[in-house]
Amino acid sequence: MATVMWETELEKALKRAKAENKTALIFFHNPA
Amino acid sequence: MNNNIVSLKVPFDIQPLSTEFNVKWTPTLVTVDSDGKEHHHTVGFLSPEELIPSLLLGMAKVHFDLNQFPEALAFIEKVLADFPKSGSAAEAIFLRGVSIFKSANNPKALKDAYEQLQAQYPESDWTKRAYPYRLL
Repeated sequence: MATVMWETELEKALKRAKAENKTALIFFHNPA
Repeated sequence: MNNNIVSLKVPFDIQPLSTEFNVKWTPTLVTVDSDGKEHHHTVGFLSPEELIPSLLLGMAKVHFDLNQFPEALAFIEKVLADFPKSGSAAEAIFLRGVSIFKSANNPKALKDAYEQLQAQYPESDWTKRAYPYRLL
C-alpha cells in the first residue's frame, strides 16, 4: 500500500478516535 | 478494549510514520491521542497478561498527559485490580500517586505510592523513582 495511503489511514483512525472519544493504537508489524 | 481503542496495523518500514514514531524493531505498539501525539511506546512481544495492562496503562498516560486525572485514574485502577502481577502495575501505582497529587494537591498520595511500591514491588525501577516521596 502506498505511503500516502497509510497516512490517510492514520488520519481516518485519529478522526474516529476523536469522534468516539477513544485512544488510538498504532501497531507496527513486519509483514514478511 | 475495542470500547476504548481505535487500532491501526501498519508495516514497520512505512515512511514517514516509521521515522515519526521512531520504530526500530517489531512489534512496536504506539499509543497516541486523537491529535496523533505519542504517549506510550512498547517494543517486543507481549503476552496477553502483559499486553492488556500495557494498553490500559497507555490509555491512562494519554489522559494523564492531558491533565484528565479522573479518566487516567479509572484506567490505572483497572490495571491494578485486574493485572497486579503485570509489568505495568508498578508504573500504574506511581502514576496513581502523581495523578492524585496533581488533581487534589495531596502530597500524601505520593508517599502512599512509595510505600505501596516498596511493599509490593521493592525491586522495581518505579520504587526507586518514588524513593524521595518517603520523606513527605
